[in-house]
Amino acid sequence: MRNSFIKPRVKTLISPEFKLLFFFFSITLGMLLTSYTFLKVKAVMYESNIAELQAKGETLKTDIISMNGEITFIEIEKQHAEGIYTSNTVLKESIHNLFDLVPQRITLSKADLKEDELVLYGITPSKEVYEFLLLAPLRSIFHRSYTSYYAMDNGWYSFVSKNYLDRELAVQ
Amino acid sequence: MKFHISRQMIYILSLSVVFLIVVFVFAFAVLIPMGKEYRVARMETKKVAYHVDLIQSEYDKVYGKLKNLKADNRHVIGAYTTIFNADRFAKVHAQHFESFSLSELSTPVQEGDFATYEVNTSTLINSPQGFYDFLDAVNKSDNIVSVNFPIHFERDANLIKSSFTMHVYAANQQENNASQE
Repeated sequence: MRNSFIKPRVKTLISPEFKLLFFFFSITLGMLLTSYTFLKVKAVMYESNIAELQAKGETLKTDIISMNGEITFIEIEKQHAEGIYTSNTVLKESIHNLFDLVPQRITLSKADLKEDELVLYGITPSKEVYEFLLLAPLRSIFHRSYTSYYAMDNGWYSFVSKNYLDRELAVQ
Repeated sequence: MKFHISRQMIYILSLSVVFLIVVFVFAFAVLIPMGKEYRVARMETKKVAYHVDLIQSEYDKVYGKLKNLKADNRHVIGAYTTIFNADRFAKVHAQHFESFSLSELSTPVQEGDFATYEVNTSTLINSPQGFYDFLDAVNKSDNIVSVNFPIHFERDANLIKSSFTMHVYAANQQENNASQE
């Protein structure tokens, strides 16, 4: 037997108003948490980037120091090598000039070249030929020149010419 | 007029207030500091990136300079690191002489950044031109070699006997490493 003309309302644990409220609450909380997560992830990413960049910077700095060392050493090598090449060339020119200096009438038998000293052994038809043709140019190059003559059987002279450069005078 | 608020409405209002408080607390205690941290991290990244860019451009400049220097001085760099081979040296330069002999290399002497070996040489030449050619060729050889005084020339029939000392230079690797450090 029915005591009412209307159908009974279905009773739920949570009413539609509460559901709506929870729905908005969830949306808001979701947005807040998403924002927090975004910021947190980005901050962590930036921090990790900073660490990577700093490590890269340190590596680059070390490489720069190492390369600068290498550059310095190559420049030292270059300078040293150029000095040696120049000294070889100067030596060649000096010997070339020395042999060009000797006239055809004088024959050299021996030559000793030292840094500040030149000793020539040879034969000359006469003392005058030696003095005019070889001693004069030698005197213009060296500071001191001493010559010893030895008469030969054929009338020629063998000579020993010692020539010295004085460093102190050369510097002045 | 009687103002009636239902119990459900009270619950909803209370919940809303609690929620509002939670949102404010979360925003001020967590979200805003996190935003600040993010902003600081972003600024710091930009600053470090700019600094690293400067270092990178300095690196590129130094690298370019080193690369050019190495390219321009390839022969010199190689010559300082090539081990002196007396047989090969004699073979290469024998063309300038009638006879060419080298003594054993001396023990090295340290001269600053370089180790210097001494080698005595005796030769027979037709004319001084052979010696000049040798001096030109020695500057292009595989090693850094200097011809030093004393030099002795002596007539020997139609030939000229000569003897001289050469210095062979090698890069001192330890010095090199030390200078790099």
